[in-house]
Amino acid sequence: MKSLLATLALTTALTLPGLAVARPVTLTTTLSSYGGDGAYLALYVTDPSGAYAGSLWMAGGKSKYYEHLTDWYRATGGDTAQVDGITGASVGAGRTLEITLDLADALFDAGYTLHIDAAVEDMRDSPNEVAVPLTTKGAGTPVKGRRYVASFAYDM
Amino acid sequence: MRKTLALLVASTALTATLGFAAWSATRESPRPVAALSEDGTPALPLILISDDDDDDDRKGLWGHDDDDCGDDDDDDDDDGGCRGGARNPAPAGSKLPPQNGLFGTGAPPQVQVN
Repeated sequence: MKSLLATLALTTALTLPGLAVARPVTLTTTLSSYGGDGAYLALYVTDPSGAYAGSLWMAGGKSKYYEHLTDWYRATGGDTAQVDGITGASVGAGRTLEITLDLADALFDAGYTLHIDAAVEDMRDSPNEVAVPLTTKGAGTPVKGRRYVASFAYDM
Repeated sequence: MRKTLALLVASTALTATLGFAAWSATRESPRPVAALSEDGTPALPLILISDDDDDDDRKGLWGHDDDDCGDDDDDDDDDGGCRGGARNPAPAGSKLPPQNGLFGTGAPPQVQVN
Protein backbone atom coordinates (compact mmCIF):
# COMPACT_ATOMS: atom_id res chain seq x y z
CA MET A 1 0.00 0.00 0.00
CA LYS A 2 2.80 2.31 0.90
CA SER A 3 4.57 1.65 -2.35
CA LEU A 4 1.37 2.33 -4.26
CA LEU A 5 0.96 5.68 -2.54
CA ALA A 6 4.56 6.50 -3.18
CA THR A 7 4.14 5.65 -6.84
CA LEU A 8 1.00 7.78 -7.11
CA ALA A 9 2.72 10.68 -5.40
CA LEU A 10 5.66 10.37 -7.74
CA THR A 11 3.57 10.21 -10.92
CA THR A 12 1.47 13.16 -9.75
CA ALA A 13 4.59 15.14 -9.01
CA LEU A 14 5.90 14.36 -12.47
CA THR A 15 2.61 15.09 -14.23
CA LEU A 16 1.57 18.34 -12.58
CA PRO A 17 4.45 20.48 -13.81
CA GLY A 18 3.77 19.26 -17.31
CA LEU A 19 0.18 20.44 -17.05
CA ALA A 20 1.10 23.73 -15.48
CA VAL A 21 3.76 24.88 -17.94
CA ALA A 22 1.39 25.50 -20.82
CA ARG A 23 -2.05 26.94 -21.32
CA PRO A 24 -4.33 27.74 -24.24
CA VAL A 25 -3.81 31.28 -25.47
CA THR A 26 -5.97 32.86 -28.14
CA LEU A 27 -4.34 35.32 -30.51
CA THR A 28 -6.85 37.54 -32.29
CA THR A 29 -5.71 39.63 -35.23
CA THR A 30 -8.15 41.87 -37.08
CA LEU A 31 -7.01 43.39 -40.33
CA SER A 32 -8.02 46.80 -41.52
CA SER A 33 -9.83 47.26 -44.81
CA TYR A 34 -6.69 48.20 -46.70
CA GLY A 35 -8.19 47.27 -50.06
CA GLY A 36 -5.67 44.70 -51.21
CA ASP A 37 -5.20 40.96 -51.48
CA GLY A 38 -4.94 38.65 -48.52
CA ALA A 39 -2.19 39.50 -46.08
CA TYR A 40 0.66 37.21 -45.13
CA LEU A 41 1.32 37.41 -41.41
CA ALA A 42 4.17 35.95 -39.41
CA LEU A 43 3.62 35.80 -35.67
CA TYR A 44 6.82 35.12 -33.76
CA VAL A 45 8.46 35.73 -30.43
CA THR A 46 11.71 37.32 -29.38
CA ASP A 47 13.40 36.69 -26.04
CA PRO A 48 14.37 39.35 -23.49
CA SER A 49 17.57 40.08 -25.42
CA GLY A 50 15.59 40.65 -28.61
CA ALA A 51 16.75 37.45 -30.27
CA TYR A 52 14.34 35.33 -32.27
CA ALA A 53 12.88 32.64 -30.03
CA GLY A 54 10.45 30.91 -32.37
CA SER A 55 7.35 31.23 -34.50
CA LEU A 56 3.76 30.94 -33.33
CA TRP A 57 1.88 31.14 -36.60
CA MET A 58 2.30 31.81 -40.30
CA ALA A 59 -0.70 33.04 -42.27
CA GLY A 60 0.11 32.32 -45.90
CA GLY A 61 1.20 29.01 -47.36
CA LYS A 62 3.66 29.93 -50.10
CA SER A 63 7.20 30.16 -48.90
CA LYS A 64 8.28 32.13 -51.94
CA TYR A 65 6.59 35.17 -50.44
CA TYR A 66 8.12 34.86 -47.01
CA GLU A 67 11.01 37.14 -47.84
CA HIS A 68 8.49 39.98 -47.62
CA LEU A 69 7.98 39.21 -43.96
CA THR A 70 11.33 40.83 -43.65
CA ASP A 71 12.16 40.66 -39.96
CA TRP A 72 10.93 37.10 -39.66
CA TYR A 73 12.82 36.16 -42.80
CA ARG A 74 16.00 37.79 -41.58
CA ALA A 75 15.77 35.93 -38.30
CA THR A 76 15.00 32.54 -39.78
CA GLY A 77 16.55 32.63 -43.23
CA GLY A 78 13.11 31.68 -44.51
CA ASP A 79 13.35 28.26 -42.89
CA THR A 80 9.94 26.71 -43.39
CA ALA A 81 10.62 24.14 -40.67
CA GLN A 82 10.02 27.05 -38.30
CA VAL A 83 6.37 27.12 -39.32
CA ASP A 84 5.65 23.49 -40.14
CA GLY A 85 2.35 22.58 -38.50
CA ILE A 86 1.55 26.18 -37.64
CA THR A 87 0.71 27.53 -41.08
CA GLY A 88 -2.65 28.51 -42.48
CA ALA A 89 -4.12 30.61 -45.24
CA SER A 90 -3.45 34.29 -45.76
CA VAL A 91 -6.00 36.63 -44.22
CA GLY A 92 -8.23 38.93 -46.26
CA ALA A 93 -8.63 42.62 -45.63
CA GLY A 94 -11.13 43.31 -42.89
CA ARG A 95 -11.08 39.69 -41.67
CA THR A 96 -10.24 38.43 -38.21
CA LEU A 97 -7.77 35.60 -37.64
CA GLU A 98 -8.28 33.79 -34.38
CA ILE A 99 -5.67 31.24 -33.35
CA THR A 100 -5.71 29.23 -30.15
CA LEU A 101 -2.36 27.74 -29.22
CA ASP A 102 -1.10 25.77 -26.29
CA LEU A 103 1.66 28.14 -25.17
CA ALA A 104 4.31 27.75 -22.51
CA ASP A 105 3.71 29.76 -19.36
CA ALA A 106 7.36 30.69 -19.38
CA LEU A 107 6.65 33.11 -22.22
CA PHE A 108 4.66 35.42 -19.98
CA ASP A 109 6.04 38.04 -17.63
CA ALA A 110 9.55 37.05 -18.61
CA GLY A 111 10.50 39.72 -21.13
CA TYR A 112 9.32 37.95 -24.27
CA THR A 113 7.75 40.02 -27.07
CA LEU A 114 5.27 38.86 -29.68
CA HIS A 115 5.83 40.35 -33.13
CA ILE A 116 3.76 40.34 -36.28
CA ASP A 117 5.28 40.98 -39.69
CA ALA A 118 2.80 41.64 -42.49
CA ALA A 119 3.01 41.71 -46.28
CA VAL A 120 0.42 42.19 -49.00
CA GLU A 121 0.91 41.71 -52.72
CA ASP A 122 1.56 44.99 -54.50
CA MET A 123 1.56 46.87 -51.24
CA ARG A 124 4.31 47.85 -48.86
CA ASP A 125 5.86 45.27 -46.59
CA SER A 126 5.31 45.92 -42.93
CA PRO A 127 7.90 44.33 -40.66
CA ASN A 128 7.19 44.60 -36.96
CA GLU A 129 3.61 45.57 -37.71
CA VAL A 130 2.83 44.68 -34.10
CA ALA A 131 5.22 44.27 -31.17
CA VAL A 132 3.60 43.55 -27.85
CA PRO A 133 5.20 42.35 -24.61
CA LEU A 134 3.76 39.08 -23.37
CA THR A 135 2.48 39.73 -19.86
CA THR A 136 -0.45 38.32 -17.96
CA LYS A 137 -1.54 41.88 -17.25
CA GLY A 138 -1.57 42.76 -20.94
CA ALA A 139 -3.89 39.90 -21.85
CA GLY A 140 -7.13 41.07 -23.40
CA THR A 141 -5.79 44.52 -24.20
CA PRO A 142 -6.02 45.27 -27.91
CA VAL A 143 -3.15 47.03 -29.63
CA LYS A 144 -3.12 48.64 -33.05
CA GLY A 145 -0.74 47.70 -35.84
CA ARG A 146 1.24 50.13 -37.98
CA ARG A 147 -0.28 49.48 -41.39
CA TYR A 148 -2.53 46.48 -41.95
CA VAL A 149 -3.53 45.29 -38.50
CA ALA A 150 -6.48 47.16 -37.05
CA SER A 151 -6.15 45.40 -33.72
CA PHE A 152 -4.35 42.54 -32.05
CA ALA A 153 -4.97 40.98 -28.66
CA TYR A 154 -4.09 37.82 -26.80
CA ASP A 155 -6.37 36.18 -24.28
CA MET A 156 -5.47 33.51 -21.77
CA MET B 1 2.06 29.26 -127.16
CA ARG B 2 -0.31 26.41 -126.48
CA LYS B 3 1.73 25.41 -123.54
CA THR B 4 1.54 28.91 -122.05
CA LEU B 5 -2.18 29.01 -122.62
CA ALA B 6 -2.61 25.66 -120.89
CA LEU B 7 -0.63 26.87 -117.90
CA LEU B 8 -2.72 30.03 -117.67
CA VAL B 9 -5.96 28.05 -117.75
CA ALA B 10 -4.72 25.63 -115.10
CA SER B 11 -3.59 28.37 -112.73
CA THR B 12 -6.85 30.28 -113.23
CA ALA B 13 -8.86 27.17 -112.46
CA LEU B 14 -6.83 26.51 -109.36
CA THR B 15 -7.19 30.08 -108.13
CA ALA B 16 -10.93 30.04 -108.76
CA THR B 17 -11.34 26.78 -106.85
CA LEU B 18 -9.40 27.98 -103.84
CA GLY B 19 -11.02 31.39 -103.93
CA PHE B 20 -14.51 29.94 -104.03
CA ALA B 21 -13.80 27.69 -101.09
CA ALA B 22 -12.53 30.60 -99.04
CA TRP B 23 -15.44 32.79 -100.01
CA SER B 24 -17.90 30.05 -99.07
CA ALA B 25 -16.34 29.67 -95.68
CA THR B 26 -16.78 33.34 -94.93
CA ARG B 27 -20.39 33.22 -96.04
CA GLU B 28 -21.41 30.54 -93.52
CA SER B 29 -23.87 31.68 -90.96
CA PRO B 30 -22.18 32.28 -87.61
CA ARG B 31 -22.60 29.54 -85.02
CA PRO B 32 -22.83 30.10 -81.34
CA VAL B 33 -19.66 29.32 -79.50
CA ALA B 34 -21.37 26.57 -77.56
CA ALA B 35 -22.33 24.80 -80.76
CA LEU B 36 -18.76 24.47 -81.89
CA SER B 37 -18.10 21.64 -79.51
CA GLU B 38 -21.48 20.00 -79.68
CA ASP B 39 -20.80 17.84 -82.67
CA GLY B 40 -18.31 15.55 -81.08
CA THR B 41 -15.30 17.44 -82.26
CA PRO B 42 -12.93 18.69 -79.62
CA ALA B 43 -13.57 22.15 -78.30
CA LEU B 44 -11.64 24.90 -79.95
CA PRO B 45 -8.33 25.42 -78.28
CA LEU B 46 -8.44 28.33 -75.93
CA ILE B 47 -6.30 31.21 -76.97
CA LEU B 48 -3.97 32.12 -74.19
CA ILE B 49 -3.89 35.87 -74.01
CA SER B 50 -1.56 35.92 -71.08
CA ASP B 51 -0.58 33.18 -68.73
CA ASP B 52 0.79 35.38 -66.02
CA ASP B 53 -1.23 38.53 -66.08
CA ASP B 54 -0.74 39.17 -62.41
CA ASP B 55 2.97 39.00 -62.82
CA ASP B 56 3.13 41.36 -65.72
CA ASP B 57 0.42 43.82 -64.91
CA ARG B 58 0.95 44.16 -61.22
CA LYS B 59 4.55 45.11 -60.78
CA GLY B 60 4.28 45.11 -57.10
CA LEU B 61 6.53 44.14 -54.28
CA TRP B 62 6.23 40.47 -55.01
CA GLY B 63 5.16 38.13 -57.74
CA HIS B 64 7.17 39.69 -60.56
CA ASP B 65 10.51 38.15 -59.89
CA ASP B 66 9.72 34.48 -59.75
CA ASP B 67 8.71 33.48 -63.22
CA ASP B 68 10.67 30.28 -62.84
CA CYS B 69 8.53 29.29 -59.93
CA GLY B 70 5.37 28.74 -61.95
CA ASP B 71 2.13 30.62 -61.97
CA ASP B 72 1.67 32.88 -59.01
CA ASP B 73 -2.05 33.12 -59.39
CA ASP B 74 -3.05 29.63 -58.52
CA ASP B 75 -4.21 29.03 -55.02
CA ASP B 76 -2.89 25.57 -54.55
CA ASP B 77 -0.23 25.24 -51.99
CA ASP B 78 1.55 22.31 -53.50
CA ASP B 79 3.76 24.01 -56.00
CA GLY B 80 6.73 24.06 -53.72
CA GLY B 81 8.57 27.10 -52.69
CA CYS B 82 11.23 28.31 -54.99
CA ARG B 83 13.12 30.88 -53.00
CA GLY B 84 16.33 29.21 -51.99
CA GLY B 85 14.80 25.84 -52.70
CA ALA B 86 12.60 26.11 -49.62
CA ARG B 87 9.49 24.00 -49.66
CA ASN B 88 6.14 25.28 -48.53
CA PRO B 89 5.57 24.58 -44.87
CA ALA B 90 3.34 21.77 -43.70
CA PRO B 91 -0.11 23.17 -42.96
CA ALA B 92 -1.52 23.25 -39.47
CA GLY B 93 -2.97 19.96 -38.36
CA SER B 94 -0.75 17.92 -40.63
CA LYS B 95 2.18 17.99 -38.27
CA LEU B 96 2.97 18.86 -34.68
CA PRO B 97 4.11 22.42 -34.02
CA PRO B 98 7.87 22.86 -34.03
CA GLN B 99 9.70 22.03 -30.84
CA ASN B 100 10.84 25.59 -30.24
CA GLY B 101 10.03 25.69 -26.55
CA LEU B 102 7.10 28.04 -27.07
CA PHE B 103 4.47 25.34 -27.24
CA GLY B 104 3.20 22.93 -24.67
CA THR B 105 2.48 19.37 -25.49
CA GLY B 106 -1.27 19.78 -25.35
CA ALA B 107 -3.91 20.60 -27.89
CA PRO B 108 -2.96 21.23 -31.51
CA PRO B 109 -3.50 24.75 -32.88
CA GLN B 110 -7.08 25.81 -33.56
CA VAL B 111 -7.62 28.48 -36.16
CA GLN B 112 -10.62 30.38 -37.40
CA VAL B 113 -11.02 33.26 -39.82
CA ASN B 114 -14.12 35.38 -39.47
